[in-house]
Amino acid sequence: MEISVREASGVNILDLSGSLDTNTSQAAEDKVNNLLAAGHDKILFNFKELNYISSSGLRVLLATAKKLKVSGGLMTVCSLNPVVQEVFDISGFAGILSLASDEEEALASF
Amino acid sequence: MADMKKKFTVLAVDDTPENLDVVKGILAHEYVVKVAINGPMALKIAEKQPPDLILLDIMMPGMDGYEVCRKLKSNPATRDVPVIFLTAMDQTSDEASGFELGAADYITKPVNPPILEARVKTHLALKESMDELQKAYGIIKVQKDRMEDELNIGRDIQMSMLPLEFPAFPDRNELSVHALLKPAREVGGDFYDFFFVNDDEICLVVGDVSGKGVPAALFMAVTKTMIKTRAMDDRSPASIVTRVNDEMSADNPSCMFVTLFIAICNVRTGKFRFTNAGHNPPYIRRSTGVLEHLDQRHGPIIGAVEGVAYKENDTMLLSGDTAFIFTDGVTEAMDTGSQLYSESRLEDVLGTTKNNTVEDLVNESLASVESFADGAEQADDITILAFCLNAEPGQSIGHRAQFVIDAELSEIERINHRLDDFAKEHEVSNGIIQKLKIAIDELVTNIISHGFVDGDDQSIEISFDCSDKQLIVEIIDEGVPFNVFEAAKPDTTLSIEDREIGGLGTLLVNELIDEVAYQRRNNTNVVSLTMNLRNE
Repeated sequence: MEISVREASGVNILDLSGSLDTNTSQAAEDKVNNLLAAGHDKILFNFKELNYISSSGLRVLLATAKKLKVSGGLMTVCSLNPVVQEVFDISGFAGILSLASDEEEALASF
Repeated sequence: MADMKKKFTVLAVDDTPENLDVVKGILAHEYVVKVAINGPMALKIAEKQPPDLILLDIMMPGMDGYEVCRKLKSNPATRDVPVIFLTAMDQTSDEASGFELGAADYITKPVNPPILEARVKTHLALKESMDELQKAYGIIKVQKDRMEDELNIGRDIQMSMLPLEFPAFPDRNELSVHALLKPAREVGGDFYDFFFVNDDEICLVVGDVSGKGVPAALFMAVTKTMIKTRAMDDRSPASIVTRVNDEMSADNPSCMFVTLFIAICNVRTGKFRFTNAGHNPPYIRRSTGVLEHLDQRHGPIIGAVEGVAYKENDTMLLSGDTAFIFTDGVTEAMDTGSQLYSESRLEDVLGTTKNNTVEDLVNESLASVESFADGAEQADDITILAFCLNAEPGQSIGHRAQFVIDAELSEIERINHRLDDFAKEHEVSNGIIQKLKIAIDELVTNIISHGFVDGDDQSIEISFDCSDKQLIVEIIDEGVPFNVFEAAKPDTTLSIEDREIGGLGTLLVNELIDEVAYQRRNNTNVVSLTMNLRNE
């Protein structure tokens, strides 16, 4: 998995490619925590290049969402492929996280 | 008190009756004295009832004393009767020719009574000792023949128990196995065995029973049979050895032992699990030429202590890797100067002969031991078994791929790569593979994090099976019994603040995979994931 961070319209966008699973979620969590520690509170996970996500990846998203909820920040996940969408549906994350079909729509939500 | 001692018989031969009377006068009070006045008569009396000693005149008309002596010595009935020459001649050259004929002694005439008495007494005593020795030897010979018979019967039983036909599995190209047992003349109770316990797993056994003869052979036969029976419903060498040991030590009045090396190798995955019970450590010769000593020991010899829980280790065999299992008759073979063949010489042989067949390897090793021994008698049985994998394990054979990973999270990456390759080969869609990868991530993580009690050297078996309708992934671990699908389901309707992540993995597996199943099979947890391919 590769993660890169860029900024657009005051939102920190994390581009994830590959998979977000047991072996990669720690790196993703570290990246996000760095952003939060630096005071950034608008986080967009762009999953356009993400193949799949397992519960370890969901845990990172949930932890991040909980932290932003406390600090009054915002978090959106966009560009889910069908399998990732299915995982979100099964886990109920589709109902508790802010989702967007693409980056443009996501940025508009902040 | 009556004299119980047997009275010896002395035959005196002389053509002069006066001389016979003299001899009689000296000896008759102590011995039975028979007389003969010529050679033929002497031979006749001696053959009819051999005396204990013969006093023989040399100068006689017709047949002289030398001729009589020669005839006595050539007749088995009289050969052992000591002959003392009585003669007027005292030249040493005559004495020499008499001794050459087998005479026991010489007495010159005229006879000195005390000397005659003393010489006769001495030679009769010697004769008596000789007879006793002969008798004892006779008894020993009977015993020895009986023991040899028993050893031979034991040897016959031993050899009849071994698989001797090679190639052993002509229709299984993915492996080759060769073995030999060269029995020692006396000591020895080696055996070897190899057999498939199911389609994929072969069991290899080499053992060395203490003792010899029929009892050792029977002990070996029982051990070998018990191992095979146990192996048929037990995939773990440690468990097989533990159960066999319990049975063998429970009723072992003769206190016999057996050292044992047993391995179960999955010829598809290359996983090679082994238990060493007091046996000398085997070698794995890698296809790269690297020689590994399997020096882990997992418990004492079989038959000694009841209730021992044996352990096991495993390693992976790849294509071209050879397991070389043997008994100490190899390394402890001696040359004429009592030097041991030793492991270092064996390692030289294993190291230098690189690309040969298992049969060549076995034969070359034996040839090396024999050339070292250089004719010295073989003290112990020599057994050698070589087993080689010819196919790359885990390569998909037909529509199946199977391999083993270490129980480490980083290994999930390897499963994913294998699954990608398999998917490409069988044109399985990306969506199905993504779902399977999620499920594998969840399940394998679960097994590694919670499934094992102690963390040493655990591994997990993975297999992919593909038909035109289904793709089935199996995940097999040897951890504590645990049905992951019985875990509590999380409440997916809770808000962010209240959501817990636990249990989510299993939920994903259940929902993403078309069909999931758990079963406890042969002390392993088996989870199978089935994806239907036609729905796409």
